[in-house]
Amino acid sequence: MDKWEYAESIESDSIVSIQSKYGHFIDGKFSTPNSKNYLKTVSPSTEEVLASISIGNEKDVDKAVNSAKEGFKIWSKTAPSERAKYLYKLARLIQERSREFAVLESMDGGKPIKESRDFDLPQVASNFFYFAGWADKLDISWGTKEMKPYGVVGQIIPWNFPLLMLAWKVAPALATGNTVVLKPAETTPLTALLFAELCEEVGLPKGVFNLVTGDGTTGAELVNHEGISKIAFTGSTSVGKYIQNAVGERDIGLTLELGGKAANIVYNDAALDQAVEGVVNGIFFNQGHVCCAGSRLLLQEDIHDEFINKLEKRMQTLRVGNPLDKNTDIGAINSKEQLEKITSLVNDGVNDGGELFQIECELPSTGYWYKPSLFTNVQPSYNIAREEIFGPVLTTLTFRTPEEAVEIANNTEYGLSAGIWTEKGSKILWTADRLDAGVIWANTFNKFDPSSPFGGYKESGFGREGGRHGLLSYLKVRS
Amino acid sequence: MTNINEQTLAAPFTWASTVELLDGVKVDEIGVKERVSSLSTRSIKRESKLQALNYIVSMCDLTTLEGEDTEGKVLQMTAKAMRPDPADENVPSAAAVCVYPSLVSTAKEIIGSSNVKVASVSSYFPSGQVPLESKLLDTKYAIDEGADEIDIVINRKAFFEGDYRKVFDEIVSLKEACGDKHLKTILEVGELRTYENIKKASLLALAAGSDFIKTSTGKISNGSSKEACLVMAKAVYEFKESTGFSAGIKVAGGIRDSKDAIRYLIIIKEELGEDWLDADYFRFGASSLLDDVLKQIRKLKTNAYQSSYYFPRG
Amino acid sequence: MTEIKKTYKNYVDGNYVRSESGKTYTVQLKSESYELPLTSKKDLRDAVTSSKKGFDSWNKLSQYNRTQIIYRLSEMIEGNRDSYVEILLDHGLTKPAANKDIDNAINTIVWYAGLADKWEQLTGNLNPVVGEYFNISHQEPIGVVFSLNSTEVSIDKLVRSFLPALSIGCSVINLSENNAVLALKLSEDINNSDLPSGALNLLSGNFSNVLDDASRHVEINTLVSYKKLNKEMLKIINENASTSVKRIFHLPSEDGLSSILPFIETKTVWHPKGR
Repeated sequence: MDKWEYAESIESDSIVSIQSKYGHFIDGKFSTPNSKNYLKTVSPSTEEVLASISIGNEKDVDKAVNSAKEGFKIWSKTAPSERAKYLYKLARLIQERSREFAVLESMDGGKPIKESRDFDLPQVASNFFYFAGWADKLDISWGTKEMKPYGVVGQIIPWNFPLLMLAWKVAPALATGNTVVLKPAETTPLTALLFAELCEEVGLPKGVFNLVTGDGTTGAELVNHEGISKIAFTGSTSVGKYIQNAVGERDIGLTLELGGKAANIVYNDAALDQAVEGVVNGIFFNQGHVCCAGSRLLLQEDIHDEFINKLEKRMQTLRVGNPLDKNTDIGAINSKEQLEKITSLVNDGVNDGGELFQIECELPSTGYWYKPSLFTNVQPSYNIAREEIFGPVLTTLTFRTPEEAVEIANNTEYGLSAGIWTEKGSKILWTADRLDAGVIWANTFNKFDPSSPFGGYKESGFGREGGRHGLLSYLKVRS
Repeated sequence: MTNINEQTLAAPFTWASTVELLDGVKVDEIGVKERVSSLSTRSIKRESKLQALNYIVSMCDLTTLEGEDTEGKVLQMTAKAMRPDPADENVPSAAAVCVYPSLVSTAKEIIGSSNVKVASVSSYFPSGQVPLESKLLDTKYAIDEGADEIDIVINRKAFFEGDYRKVFDEIVSLKEACGDKHLKTILEVGELRTYENIKKASLLALAAGSDFIKTSTGKISNGSSKEACLVMAKAVYEFKESTGFSAGIKVAGGIRDSKDAIRYLIIIKEELGEDWLDADYFRFGASSLLDDVLKQIRKLKTNAYQSSYYFPRG
Repeated sequence: MTEIKKTYKNYVDGNYVRSESGKTYTVQLKSESYELPLTSKKDLRDAVTSSKKGFDSWNKLSQYNRTQIIYRLSEMIEGNRDSYVEILLDHGLTKPAANKDIDNAINTIVWYAGLADKWEQLTGNLNPVVGEYFNISHQEPIGVVFSLNSTEVSIDKLVRSFLPALSIGCSVINLSENNAVLALKLSEDINNSDLPSGALNLLSGNFSNVLDDASRHVEINTLVSYKKLNKEMLKIINENASTSVKRIFHLPSEDGLSSILPFIETKTVWHPKGR
């Protein structure tokens, strides 16, 4: 028994009001779907059904795309400063209703309220603020003679940061003059549906933003629709490859933000205590459901034992539990399927010969949960060192020289992110120059900002989101 | 965990081992700030809040170190330390009172057989800008007057001149002068400024035989900070890993209210562990803090906000 | 009942102050005349002291925060549109012209608000130097800027005379002459905004009274005039400025990226890349 246990400090869910059934948001309003099929969205921490969500069919997608086409006619004639103002207003409303969005996000997706409140929602608002400011200054953004929006863009987003991924997609798309058909993830549609209400409230012209919910079939309809001029997808590498293939020779824009298996390199001259924090944050933040998670710990051999001791001690203070408890650090695994995947990969790791450390904690009796886990004694050939687990599981490998660290880090088909821990500045720059990763964090990890471009090398995808470079994902540029 | 008064450090740590300890010190400032920021989001409510507040009272060193202190002032404060809330017997007594050496005997007069300790400051607190001999005399006087605990200041002049050996040797001598009395070494983190300096000074003080390391004298505008406390906790942890000795931490100077004090407790609990949630291992140097804590305790029990005039002056 | 007449004062360090000289000058509008502070050398010096502190406070905020503060100003002006229209009418503009001016001013503020957290991405860059070196040119706001408003009766022109410098992080001392009532009216909304004290000081008066001090004061880092100045004035300004290598700009660009270039200082940092 703990000497001093933290009492539960539950964020009330009374601020949220969830309907029992939702339609789609098309042409500036909610409407009844053509599709008669519904799926249930469930709270992964309690397994309680939250709402019935329409599985949009071909007709629903078609209606949305046509609405976006009509919307584009209006939006193209809207002055850039007016586009900016719509986005600023959305940013404001998001700030005002932050608490409501945060609670809803935690209920629908399982992430701790501490994160949705302190990380997700502020980032969502800042993305809208940031891109609002580009809308009226595209002419100076790249110094090119011609910058044209694509037209109707189809956007498919994942379940790990539902509202934030929506912001990363919708804000730049609208700022640059495109209109949107968005399909949120199957397991996390609720904050997107609430966002649609805000669009109605600010009077966003009809058809500029459209929302069609559904599953993989809905996404496929969207990708294959002839009326789409560009697709932006964030999700698994396997689906990304399918989409790239499906798009084929069609002359449409495509950006992909896929999976990762990032290396977090800890040199022996790192500030070890802070490196431990960074490594913990890198893999356990958001239950490890992060494409850029630092899932491979690359430790210089001579500090291995000392580091692992500190790491295990630190992991033991992580609090797993009710996402709505303000003291929870690690929330629920997003779905039963994901939990099964994690469990299976961890079993592979143990069978292959890896040594598994899991923290001691009580897991709630309902819901999907996984204890923060650490593998040591792992060889680069094991599955757990190569496959993206997308859960709170860290795999450790060792290296002896900086060249080796770089080699091991790059020895993957992924290339989204990487971490470098050393107090030596020149070594940071030397290493960063040699890593095949789109985002490199030195002496820190999982830092995001709307002004900072994000995206991958190799099979982690192409295109960047955020920053001045992020604009290029939504504009056709010619000199 | 062994009672702090029963632990002894093998002898002190040699200078050679100390140098090794200091050699690897690397601290990233932003990382420290982020960790503190994250721990500050802990939400402590209801029974866990009451528990925390009671801990804080029991960890308070009620302090008065003013040129204008008199026997009357010290008697009032000591009485308050012994019984902070006369209307509520469940509120524990404070850990200690902290007074200048000339007022130690006054405090002892009224303490009697109570568990409240009498701590004093020496080594030419707060600046320490005198030769070692003067510091030893100062310390001896306080011990002779009956102090149970002595708070000394490190030699910052030597530290900033790069003479770590001198800093170390002085503490070793002062510890010897204290005999079996508990020694707290004040780092004055507000002057040390960088986290690397704070960590080095912490390790130096621990290696030289300090029982406690303390953040501040409370006499300069930059007192304690949660970041400094975190860095010191890391030093205490590392020292324990090397030697088996569990040192204590005292935070002083600028901890105004209960909310802030609870944040310090969270840092100690999550960084060092629950064994440190004990007046033998953690202290708050306080004056106005105690009143805020008493108000909060009364509020939790009665559900009404309080005013200071409900509690005796001290 | 006798109407209480409004008094306009200088807006310095978040406070409303008269000129320490006690002197005023008259601005005659359609409805009535106003006595405005005739800013003296001492007033200017006080404003500089305030602007120095204001620069620190303004720069402690994140660029994102500055974006929000400037954006909010546009919301406030939109909310007080009627009173701005009234004052422009009082200056002799027609109603449609007044509304157009305010529309423009709002769009200008929105534009600069959105620039506050992007200008570095447009002006800074990595330099491909020869050798194993990381080399980056990074921009900083120059500091305290003295700006002279044009004589045009326009809120849009007024905001263009301080927003470029302000949006990138400088603190600004802005002087208006014949059209100062507009500036001092605007100061009310500035005062209600979250702009830290000293970030923007609005003064009224005659430039020739402070020309010498403004161009000589070492703690004014840049002097910019959006009003056309005569040869004699320019000569004095340049001579004075040269004593401390102060930066001077006469009629610089008033929009687009070029409008912020006068207020930027470039810092280039090198670092080796090696194991």
